[in-house]
This record gives sequence, structure tokens and C-alpha cells, in this order.
Amino acid sequence: MAPSLFSQLSTLGACLALLYGLLLLWRRNLGSYVDAFQGQSVVLAVLFGVVGYFGHDPELYFVATVFVALKVFLMPYYLRRMQDRFAVERERDPYLNVPASLILAGLLVILAYAVMRPVVTISSLPTRSGLPLALALVFIGLLVILTRKKAFTQVVGFLILENGITLLALLGTYGIPLIVELGVFLDALMGFLVMQIFIYQLHGTFESIDVDQLNQLRH
Amino acid sequence: MSFLFLILPPITAALLAGLVRPYRSWVGRVNSLLSLIPIGASLVFIGGALTGGPAPTFGPDELLRADSLSALLMICVSAVAALGLFLGPTLGGEDPYRAAQLRRYQIFVNLFIAAMLLAVSANNVGVMWVSIEATTIFSALIIPLILTKTSVEASWKYILIGSTGIALAFAGTVLAYFDFVNLVGPVENALNWPVLMNSAPALHPEIIRVAFVFLLIGYGTKAGLAPMHTWLPDAHAEAPAPLSALMSGVLLAVAIYAMLRWKAVVDLLLGPAFTNQLLIMLGLLSMVIAAFSMVIQRNYKRMLAYSSIEHTGLICLGLGLGPMGIFAALYLLICHSTAKSMLFLLAGNIFHRYHSTQLSDISGLLKTMPVTGRLFAAGMLALIGLPPFGMFVAELALFRAGFSRQYIWLMVAVLVLLTVAFVSLVRHLNKILYGPIPKGISVGEPFGWRNALLFINLGILTMLGLTLPAPLLTLLNQVVGIVAK
Repeated sequence: MAPSLFSQLSTLGACLALLYGLLLLWRRNLGSYVDAFQGQSVVLAVLFGVVGYFGHDPELYFVATVFVALKVFLMPYYLRRMQDRFAVERERDPYLNVPASLILAGLLVILAYAVMRPVVTISSLPTRSGLPLALALVFIGLLVILTRKKAFTQVVGFLILENGITLLALLGTYGIPLIVELGVFLDALMGFLVMQIFIYQLHGTFESIDVDQLNQLRH
Repeated sequence: MSFLFLILPPITAALLAGLVRPYRSWVGRVNSLLSLIPIGASLVFIGGALTGGPAPTFGPDELLRADSLSALLMICVSAVAALGLFLGPTLGGEDPYRAAQLRRYQIFVNLFIAAMLLAVSANNVGVMWVSIEATTIFSALIIPLILTKTSVEASWKYILIGSTGIALAFAGTVLAYFDFVNLVGPVENALNWPVLMNSAPALHPEIIRVAFVFLLIGYGTKAGLAPMHTWLPDAHAEAPAPLSALMSGVLLAVAIYAMLRWKAVVDLLLGPAFTNQLLIMLGLLSMVIAAFSMVIQRNYKRMLAYSSIEHTGLICLGLGLGPMGIFAALYLLICHSTAKSMLFLLAGNIFHRYHSTQLSDISGLLKTMPVTGRLFAAGMLALIGLPPFGMFVAELALFRAGFSRQYIWLMVAVLVLLTVAFVSLVRHLNKILYGPIPKGISVGEPFGWRNALLFINLGILTMLGLTLPAPLLTLLNQVVGIVAK
């Protein structure tokens, strides 16, 4: 039997989200990171709608609205404002160079498939084939946080990681209970705002947002 | 009802500090008094738990629930919170902080406390996650109360590593929920802990195993388990003293609590061997790293922080040693909360006098600050596990648990590591207490209520070392019964 339209759409969405995540690994311009994050958030918002429609869960439309407000408008707006401040900064020499990062990312995708194999086997959901891609996105987010030098890039990496988990929850369980979902959004917003404050503080005290000069504290 | 008395006072305190601007010192006094109410509420929950009967719940879908384990953590959190607020920077009079900084501190420290209390009383493990994530955010905001290169660095590492780690715990929660939904379909209260416990035996081992690894890494990051501990010494050393006391004394305990809740669910499905092995492994690794870091330590607050990592390791190891081990681990957790909150507050006193966190700058403490010095010495001796303090008994029980399970070599390794920590801490303590008084440091210390309060901690530690009070024994046995079915 050919996969249903729902199944095809959800896999397509997960692939697109992962591709946007990979953009972070080979672009160097901080502005392009914001574009990638925003694009990815749009894809996720559409997926919320798709799952809400095919899964007959109108609650998801409400969640999608909050998601759009937060991750398509508010966060990219603050990120761009911050990026304008630090326009000269670029991800010049990350701890891991671009080709190596991309190879590692490929391996991480394979790892995600290996980890999620039991999950995909057990599940009978039409969305199951997107699940390993969601976990891969979580891993890519981790990779960005660990190997990039600008605090700004690390924050975008963290947001990508959060999107990966949102995708995992969306495809695996058609969304988590509403009260938890709202709590998660609130945390995400507060966490983002605090990280933003800290980046300005970093810039204020160190006159740059490079994290490799954060070496005052040892042992 | 008691739930409201538990969680609303710190929220009220935060609101009060937020609304009164500019900051007035009476806000600090009122907030300190407010912090006594949750202690009362916790005692009511403990009383309820001791009489038996079903655990009280509150809110739609039984949002909050207080069984013996929750009640135990509630009293730890609320007691240390009250201590931290009474000895906080707002009541001292001679602080280095400006009004705006004091206001910020009062707002976020109270929100931090509210988040911790919510985390241990949440029935829904998703809400528990949300609260623990919130603790990171609120506490990170007040680490750089005074902007310096080191405090900014510490807070950045803390929020980034803490949030990332805890995000992984959420991935684990989602995976477990996925399996549950797969089994019975979407239910609103599926993430409630008792519901999870009931359905645990029917879940899929392959998925739950993956989920637990994510949960352990995630909450382990918050608990300071190696190798995810790197943020902890920085954050604990750079935070204002009362915040360090709260973070080290009870935030770590809250993270361990979250791990224990999940361990109980996973054990029902997989048997305890799987989680035990992981906990013992990470616990031992943490102890190794912490013990040797203490040897080379040059900063006394970081020394205390590494000792927290060591104790987190020991507690996790204990949780992996079966029912007896869990009993010992929880006993150790109570003692650690008591001892470490006292020591970090005393470290604040020392910093206030010596204006340095370097061990090399501190000497002659017994002469310059007789009360602080004696209390600090007693606290350190309690920390390294000497009688007549509680940790001695807890560690003895832990060793008994280990030997009774035939983990001879493991226990020998633990003994060696504890000895390494013992020797290095005693060496550092000697250096601090005796020796010449550095130039320009005033001598003498009045005995005021601020120091007197810390004698409560010392009293509790001594009591826990000399006798095991019957209510505590009952409570701990109940907890073991809950999590090790």
C-alpha cells in the first residue's frame, strides 16, 4: 500500500526541518542562522496544522498559533536585533570545521535511526517515519552548541534542539498534554530572554561574543 | 489547601519585591517571614504521610500530589529556603549590593524557591520538568548580581549547559509518553506519576530504556553528575552565598528526586538492574572527578562545590544499591542539604571579612571569626563523614548496603575516594583555621542571631548522627516502599 498523504506530508516536513538545521553547520553569517531558524519554525507550524487536520485534534491549531507567535515572530525579531548589534561577528573558525561537521552530522543522522528503530517498529502511526529525523535534529542542535564559538550561534543551536524535541512530540504523540505544552512554551520564552540578556552582558564585559575567551574559571 | 500555603508564599514574596519600587528593606523582612509558611505546610504533609492513607492531591487532573517522598523533599527545600532568606543579602545591612540588585535578587530567588517547591509537589512528570527547567532560568538570573568577567562566564555556562541538559530530559519524557499513548491512546493525565506506575509493566522495554538514558543525562546534568557537571563549580562559586546554599543544598536534591521518580517507573518494567548499573557507573565517575579536583583546589567555594558533586555521586550510587541503599542515600541527601547550606552561608561570612575566595588568602579564621570558624570546622567535619554527625551514619548504612550485595570492590573504591576527599578537605581546613592573621583583617566577631540560626543546622546534623528519630525512620521506610516495589 502506498503511504498516505498524511504520512508523506509529515515525512516531508521532518526532512525540511532537518535541512534547515543542517544550514547552521555550513553557513558562517549570523544572519543566515536566524533565517534558518525562522524557516524551520514555519515548517513546524505547518506540520502542527497538518497533524491537527489529519489527526482530528483541533487543540493543535491553538498550540500552532502560540508556536507561530513565539518562534516565527518574537524570537527571530529579538535575534535579528541582536545580530544587528554584532553585525561584524562571523563564525570564522569553529572548533570543528565545516566539512568535518557535515560528516559528523551524517553520522548523527544514522545514529538517530539506530536509536529510534525500536520506536519506529512498534509504532503504527502514519507519522512514524519522521521520528528518527526529529531525533537527528536534536543531535544536530547539540552538535552546534558543542562545536561553535559564538554565543549567538549556540543560542540558535539550542532553539533548533528545542524545535527537534517539539517535532518529536508532535509526530510521536500528536502533541503533549496542553498544560505541559503551555509550560514548555513559557520556559522556552523565559529561557530565550535570559540567554539574550546574558549575550549582551558577555559583550559588555568581554567586548565580544566568543565563548573561547571564557576561561577565567578553571579546575 | 496546604498546597496553596506551600507554593503561594514565595510567589507572593516575588510579587511584593516586584511591585515595591524602589526596593525597601522591609520587603526583605516580610519575605523572610513569608518563607516560614511553606515549612508549616511541609510539616502538615509529613504529618499526613505518617498517618498513612492516600496521598493528598490538588487541582484539575490531580495536578499536585504529596506522598512521603514529596513531603521529604518539601521540608528540605522549604527549610533551606527560609534559612537562605533570613541570612540573605537583604537583612545584613552592610552588603555590597545596590537597591536595584537587592530587588532583582528578592524577585528571582523567591521564584526559584517556588519552582523548586512546585517541582517536588507536581504529580504530572511533565509539569515537574517544566518547574525544574524554570529553576535554571530563575537561578541563572541572579548569579551575575554583580557583573564581573567570572560571574558572567559562570552564568553563561550554567544556563547553556543546564538548559541543554534539561531539554534532553524532556526528550526522554516525550519518548515515555509516546510509549504510553501507543498503549492506551492519548489521555490527559497520562503523565501523572501514579498512572505511569500503573501502566509501567505493559510498556515496551526497548523504548523505555532509551527514554531513561535521556532522562538520566538530562536530570543528571542538573544534579551535577559527571561528566555533565562542568557548570556546577563555576555557578556555585560565583553565585551570592545564599543562592549557592540553595543551589547546592536543595536544587541538586530536587534533580535527584526527579531521577528517583523515573527510576521507580522504569524499574517496574525492566527490573532494577538496568537503572542501578547506570546510577552506580555515573555516581562512581562523579566521585572520582570530584575527589581529585578537591585535592588541587585553590578556591574554598569551589572546594565546597566539588564536595557537592562528590555527594551527588555518592547519593546516586546509593540509589543503585537496592532498598537499603536507597534508604542510606536519602539519609545522606538530608544530611547534605543541612551541612552544605550551612557551609555555603558561612563561606559568605568568610568572604565578607577576607574579600577573597582564594584558600591562600584565608588563615587564622579561628582567631578572626571565632563563631564562624568553629561552625565552619564542625560543618566540614560533618561533611567528611566523622561521627557524631549524620553523614557518618548514612555512609555506614550505604557501605552495609553495598557489602550485603557483594559489591566488595566497588565499596573499596568508594572508601578510597572518600579517604582522598577526607585528606584534602582536612588539609584545606587546617590552612583556613590556623596560621597567622593576614594584614588588614579585623579580629573579633559578635555573636548575633545570624550565627545563632546556623546552630540549628549543626543541631540537626548532630541529632541525625546520634539517633534516628522515629518519624523520620517511618517516613524514609515509606519512601523506600514507594520507589522500590
